[in-house]
Amino acid sequence: MIDVSNISKQVSTSEGTLCILDQINLSVKAGETLAIIGSSGSGKSTLLGILAGLDTPSSGTVMIGGQDITAMDEEGRAAVRAGHVGFVFQSFHLLPGLTALENVALPLELQGVSDALKTAEHYLQRVGLAARVTHYPRQLSGGEQQRVALARAFACRPTILFADEPTGNLDTGTGEKINDLLFALNEEEGTTLVLVTHEKNLAARCQRTLELQAGRQIALTNGSQH
Amino acid sequence: MLAIKMLLRGWRGGQLGLIFWSLVLAVAVVTSVALLAERVERALVNQSSAFLAADLVVSSSVPANSEWLERAAVDGIRTARTASFASMTYAGEQMHLASVKAVESTYPLRGVVKRSQIPFATDASVIESVMAAPQPGELWVDSRLLPLLNIELGDSIDVGDGTFTVSQILIEEPDGGSSFSMYGARILMNWQDLPVAAVIQPGSRVSYRFLMAASDTDDGSQFARFSEWLGDELTVHDRIITPDEAQANIAKTMDKGRRFLLLAGSIGVVLAGIALALASHHFANGQLLQVALYKSWGVSARRVRQLYLQQILALGAVGSVAGLIIGWGFHQLLLSAVRDWLPLDLPMAGARPWITGFATGLLCLIGFTLPALWHLPAQSPLAVLRRDIQVASLNSAVRGALGVITIAVLLFWYSNNAYLTLAILLGFAVTGGASIIFGLLLLRLGKTYGQKMGSIWRLALANLWRRKKPSLIQMAGFSGAIALLMIMTVVRTSLIDEWRWQLADDAPNHFLVNVASYELDGVKTLIQRRELNTAGWYSMVRGRLTHINDALPNEDLKRSHESLNRELNLSWTSALPEGNKIIQGQWWDSAALEGPVAESGGLAPVSIEEDIARELGLTLGDQLRFSVGGLVFDAVITSTRSLNWDNMTPNFYFLFPEGYLEEYPRTYMTSLYVPSDKKLMVNELLRKYPTVQVIELDKIIDRIRSIVTQITRGLEMMTLLILGCGVLVMFAAVSLSMSERLQESAILRTLGSSKRLILGVQWVEFSTLGLAAGLLAALGAEFAIAMLQHFMFDQAFTWHPWLWFVGPSAGALLVGVLGVAYSRKAVTQPPLQVLNSL
Repeated sequence: MIDVSNISKQVSTSEGTLCILDQINLSVKAGETLAIIGSSGSGKSTLLGILAGLDTPSSGTVMIGGQDITAMDEEGRAAVRAGHVGFVFQSFHLLPGLTALENVALPLELQGVSDALKTAEHYLQRVGLAARVTHYPRQLSGGEQQRVALARAFACRPTILFADEPTGNLDTGTGEKINDLLFALNEEEGTTLVLVTHEKNLAARCQRTLELQAGRQIALTNGSQH
Repeated sequence: MLAIKMLLRGWRGGQLGLIFWSLVLAVAVVTSVALLAERVERALVNQSSAFLAADLVVSSSVPANSEWLERAAVDGIRTARTASFASMTYAGEQMHLASVKAVESTYPLRGVVKRSQIPFATDASVIESVMAAPQPGELWVDSRLLPLLNIELGDSIDVGDGTFTVSQILIEEPDGGSSFSMYGARILMNWQDLPVAAVIQPGSRVSYRFLMAASDTDDGSQFARFSEWLGDELTVHDRIITPDEAQANIAKTMDKGRRFLLLAGSIGVVLAGIALALASHHFANGQLLQVALYKSWGVSARRVRQLYLQQILALGAVGSVAGLIIGWGFHQLLLSAVRDWLPLDLPMAGARPWITGFATGLLCLIGFTLPALWHLPAQSPLAVLRRDIQVASLNSAVRGALGVITIAVLLFWYSNNAYLTLAILLGFAVTGGASIIFGLLLLRLGKTYGQKMGSIWRLALANLWRRKKPSLIQMAGFSGAIALLMIMTVVRTSLIDEWRWQLADDAPNHFLVNVASYELDGVKTLIQRRELNTAGWYSMVRGRLTHINDALPNEDLKRSHESLNRELNLSWTSALPEGNKIIQGQWWDSAALEGPVAESGGLAPVSIEEDIARELGLTLGDQLRFSVGGLVFDAVITSTRSLNWDNMTPNFYFLFPEGYLEEYPRTYMTSLYVPSDKKLMVNELLRKYPTVQVIELDKIIDRIRSIVTQITRGLEMMTLLILGCGVLVMFAAVSLSMSERLQESAILRTLGSSKRLILGVQWVEFSTLGLAAGLLAALGAEFAIAMLQHFMFDQAFTWHPWLWFVGPSAGALLVGVLGVAYSRKAVTQPPLQVLNSL
């Protein structure tokens, strides 16, 4: 599903060139779950951005579904994202002016799905928020907001879901529940999951874990649980 | 359609309100002013015709050519002839030199004659308006003729060889204002009675008028063709009078009122434009994450652009339509303020005001909103992961330039006045430039000195410096709004001041002319006994200008100014009269001049009015020859003067030094206020001194006064609307930094800061911004006002020290109160709730 070969990312700063990612190689199969872990500044989020086609590497290639997204322009990558990719973010990124239902329906509407609201309602039900569809984000707790974000991500039926520290803003108990929901939905939908986390137990729930340190891939291991 | 759905959701979320209302206000201001201007303009054209009693008049010293009448009949042009002359009237032992106007039965072609059966009637219920002339054998006469001749309605009086019945009291004829009653009481008689009266003899001084009007079925083209033909037929004796000229006495007031309306409207548009630009900037900032999300979901940049464009266009269309409706409503309100002097059946406006209003909406969006949103499609999708990644917005210099171009286009298109456009733009440039240079300096100073102050001041002034870019944008917004409001207030006040004489109850409304030296004391005593005050007595000599630089004026020149065809009033004075201003040359030092010109044999210095100088092509040093009762003397032009014709005091084209015309037969003149209850004094005066001429301006002055009062009322209403625009700008500017401020305040609150500290910081920040903005606004306003006064309102430049006090203090207070009111949420709601709502 995802094939990464020799990607590096350098940025120019006032103190010279800074290497954020160095020669990363990786392959993720369809339906597989992968955790990217590492300390702050290790390049996790940069790698996630490049894998999802949100950012471009300085060198190397990323193939998604057999398409080299590093050779594409922004419009091409947007088309790939539209067809394959979904996101869950640490700070949820729900639009404050829209209700839970509208937040979930928005990407579907942008894709031109005709029964966007119905689909959105169905996914909100699946994340246990059927009673909160008309609520605005400010009326929801952090856990509930992230559940809306999960519903929004899965409602588009992505083949790959990228999650950036999905429970980073939540307490442990709520975070656990969100993780359970994420993995349950992932399994039901057969989605490939790539998540960035610094929580060892969350990483352990993934089939494989890629560990980064200062932009280098120091380990690619199988997880302890499935 | 998705864009509409997104627009509705955005509206519900409150992000679009300010953009929408700014747009609505811009369109409403333009539409209301444009509608009002066009309808009043059309009404005035109609009304002007009424004041002329025709669509066009040829005034002449000879009767209308019979060929004109024949051609007019063929072309379907309606006509009426009138002849005005002075004639002695008799009733028994009594006699009076009356001002008679003989009119054809078709008179008046436009407007109405007001008549009554009750002398001195003022109550509208007893005054009848008719489109009719007296029947042959009948006379309609001025009320005051009755006591003068000691007669009653229905009695007979003699005019020339004829005897006529006085059947009606003449209250007002439509073209009465154009020919002042120079010879006492007015009389309207039928044209057919002229041979009966036999008062017109060869050599009689008669003023003929040939009145013309288009037929009801004519769309104007037939009349235009006829007028063109007639233009070629005129001789040196004839002069065309258009409706505009008929209204010359109020045209200036109206014109200034119209200019103010335009200025206020333009200011409204600019204010709404600033509000729109600020609101759009705020809106765009709030959309960055949203666009990043769209793009992370695979929405292309093109599609993003399309979505926003569709939303803005839809918003523009709805906002413009709402603006048109509100503009219509507001124009009705404005109309109601000026209703009384407009005809009841006001003509409808054409399409232009509506098109102007709608186009303003679109142009505002293109110039102010689109540039603010331009960068959105280029937003990187990576911003969903990294907050630090943000697409650069369109260069602020480019946005500023686009805004200025839009304002310039709007101002010029709307006002069609380059000076107004330039004055506001330059005022803006000064305010904007000062905002950047002095604003930064002021913020820096604040930060430096704030260190030494208490915690509230230190924190607030440091905050302003830290947020210097948004602070400067806010400051520019505030100062722009304050400056524009100040410009409008100053111009409005100075106009109303200028008109005050017209509003004054005791402005002179009668002129007394041709008072002989031996009559002077008697006339003065009569006036004093009636407890009336004159504006001072002026001596004058009647003379003709016969030669210019030793040559006879040619026919072309004679046609260019009537002063060459009649006797002129020459006067003398040692001091420059009030309201006169030397334009070229120098006023004389009387002490340095010698005695009467006749004695000295030299050239008399003469100061002449600037308009007549221009029309006759005269300059300093030119020699003029005057003939006074056959005696000739030469003069040299030593200065030109501008006059204030509006002040209703005697004014003279030609002024000589004191004593220079001593040798010539002289008469005296003055102006005075005669209240209506002392109007009979005029009769007494004329009976006692039949050769004195009285020019009655009371009706005209009453009309001007009522128009000025109503225009002033209209201006006040317009001022209110523009104030609304100003408040909107304030709101837009305050809301600009509000989410960041609320966030900081909530964090401070979480850390245990007191309500006093948080509100204190907001108060100091906003009032400092307001203070600085007010100061800069005073600078910009002073600059723009100087230009406007000079170029647009024909007024002298004056400093406005109060601006420098009111600007900063009102700015500090207004912006401070608004800012604190807006940020009260930070202390009235729990911090977490505040943070969640952002």
